[in-house]
Amino acid sequence: MITYYARCFAIVLLLTQPAFAGKVNGTLSSRLDFYPDHADGTASEGRSVEVKIDAFHDFDKSRIVGEFIFRGDKKDSGRRITEARQAYFRSPFAGFDFFVGNRQEFWGKAESKNVVDVINQSDAAANDGKSGKLGAPSISAERYLDVGNLQLWYISRFREKTFNDSDAHPSSGVPVSSAQYARKNGKDADDFAARLSSFAGDWDLAGSVFYGTARDPILSVNSNGSALNPHYALQKSIGFEAQYTGDVTLLKWESLHGTQSSLIGAHDFAAAVAGIEYTYYGAFETIWDIGLIGEIQHDDRPQAAANQFGVAGVRLVFNDIADSNFLFLASLDRKTDQSFASLEASRRINDVTSVKLTSQFYNARTTTSTFGQLSDDDAITLTLNIFF
Amino acid sequence: MKLGTVTMFVAITTAVMITAAFASPKKGLEIAIEADSRDKGFGDSTAQITMILMDKYGQSTERTIRNRTFEGYNEGDKSLVIFDSPGDVRGTAFLSHTKKADSDDQWLYLPALKRVKRIASSNKAGPFMGSEFSYEDIASQEVEKYTYNYLRDEELNGLECFVVEYDPVDRKSGYKRQIVWMDKAEYRVHKIDFYDRKDALLKTLTYEDYNQYLDKFWRSNRLVMINHQTGKKTELVFADWKFQTGMTERDFEKSTLKRTR
Repeated sequence: MITYYARCFAIVLLLTQPAFAGKVNGTLSSRLDFYPDHADGTASEGRSVEVKIDAFHDFDKSRIVGEFIFRGDKKDSGRRITEARQAYFRSPFAGFDFFVGNRQEFWGKAESKNVVDVINQSDAAANDGKSGKLGAPSISAERYLDVGNLQLWYISRFREKTFNDSDAHPSSGVPVSSAQYARKNGKDADDFAARLSSFAGDWDLAGSVFYGTARDPILSVNSNGSALNPHYALQKSIGFEAQYTGDVTLLKWESLHGTQSSLIGAHDFAAAVAGIEYTYYGAFETIWDIGLIGEIQHDDRPQAAANQFGVAGVRLVFNDIADSNFLFLASLDRKTDQSFASLEASRRINDVTSVKLTSQFYNARTTTSTFGQLSDDDAITLTLNIFF
Repeated sequence: MKLGTVTMFVAITTAVMITAAFASPKKGLEIAIEADSRDKGFGDSTAQITMILMDKYGQSTERTIRNRTFEGYNEGDKSLVIFDSPGDVRGTAFLSHTKKADSDDQWLYLPALKRVKRIASSNKAGPFMGSEFSYEDIASQEVEKYTYNYLRDEELNGLECFVVEYDPVDRKSGYKRQIVWMDKAEYRVHKIDFYDRKDALLKTLTYEDYNQYLDKFWRSNRLVMINHQTGKKTELVFADWKFQTGMTERDFEKSTLKRTR
């Protein structure tokens, strides 16, 4: 409740500041999705428009920050959203920086999956990669200590994962019903987290703990197959992150160990990503950088698409005036013979406009596997961003 | 003909011997140390920068960035670059902890993800923001990063200058050598010729419109880098220099990257 009032307070303060006008930026994104393999009765294309407003105002030592998302979609009601992704008040107190309100945070080191990134819920329906997050209503504190940066989090209300409509993409084709919770207080149950991150020489390290509602629900089909029931487990976990930064080689590690208590009982789990990224700077005597990415994912939680994925990718950075770049990632689960490939290319058109092309392809031998259920969800997406 | 060849040989040999006689690593190092010591004590500084990129046809595009620098004592300077435009990189920030001998520590903040990414510093020869400046050109210049050779005295733009060769110690540098013109009166750099790894003239950087701050520290308000091999040009126009603003080392920790707006 405190964070709700703080969020409202932050929004009202932001909107009433006389100097506010000079510190507002925004992005208008127009997006077209094409689904070449769409099943009968599902959308063949999608159109959505998103407006993102960023604003902040500084007081003497404090700051109010706002980041608001307004997204409309022609057909998919799951993708429509009005969201205060960030709406917080930050102020120093007793050697700490305190943040009250909605906040977005990132924890992790890897490229293909971030198992330790537990603070925010995913705005999965946005299908917008790692940036698609819902703000965490929270009180958090940060302090720089000799041993590193300490973060303490209290998250006062749970945000449910967003899902696309059953005839939209990506979707299993079955409507998602209302959520159930392993915790007695449901979405009002409190979450707690802490993280200490540091670096020494070529190593960046972090350790974290989390007690709260798992971000990903366990999905089960109801008795007559007409709906998917999301069930959110109680999770207690410890996370560890490490990155070694060499001359041209990055080595990355993320792991999360703990227990989840849900309707299927209490189970220990382990999830980890190990990766390497090797970059040829100035490849082929050009100004291009070519990065080769290799990662292995392990996740034995019931929410995971598979126990193990091998991931390979290429990143191309052209270092040109238009900031052109390209990323290809392919994930393969050999055990159940399913795979996923994504491609992302973007460049700037002029100072206020950029364009991004993304595509996602799912492949599976059986229709029962996770990607088998998404086999009609292959997508080619064109996004035009206008910055103001 | 034969006499001409002999004369030319004698002339070249004499010139080389004279150059060798006057070229002095010791004096080169002394000049570099003196230039460095004259800039000691600035504490910290901030500036607004407009970057103007021009292609060989004269078409130009602009970027605006903010720079914050914190003077290092035992180690090199710490610097933070915040991008204000173009729109797609707005809010992106680049933090560098310069090392005197070792590789620099560098982090990049990506505002859409709220992610701080440690990046390898061996891309020093790569272009900074698609400009003709490379990462090593914009990094803080530490005495230990080069070996030196004083070449000659020469007048440039009406100023008596030392001409000193700077040879990068780091083999990952994009340069085999740099020829630096520095005025004798104030030890300010006025021009640098950059030679690539094949020892061909790659770029020339000129420093214009020097101003003195706090009665001691000289800063150029206009840097022009011309790439002779591509015909492209980048200008950096500095404005609103401020010194000793009260920033602390804490303002240059990686965790503060998320708070720079």
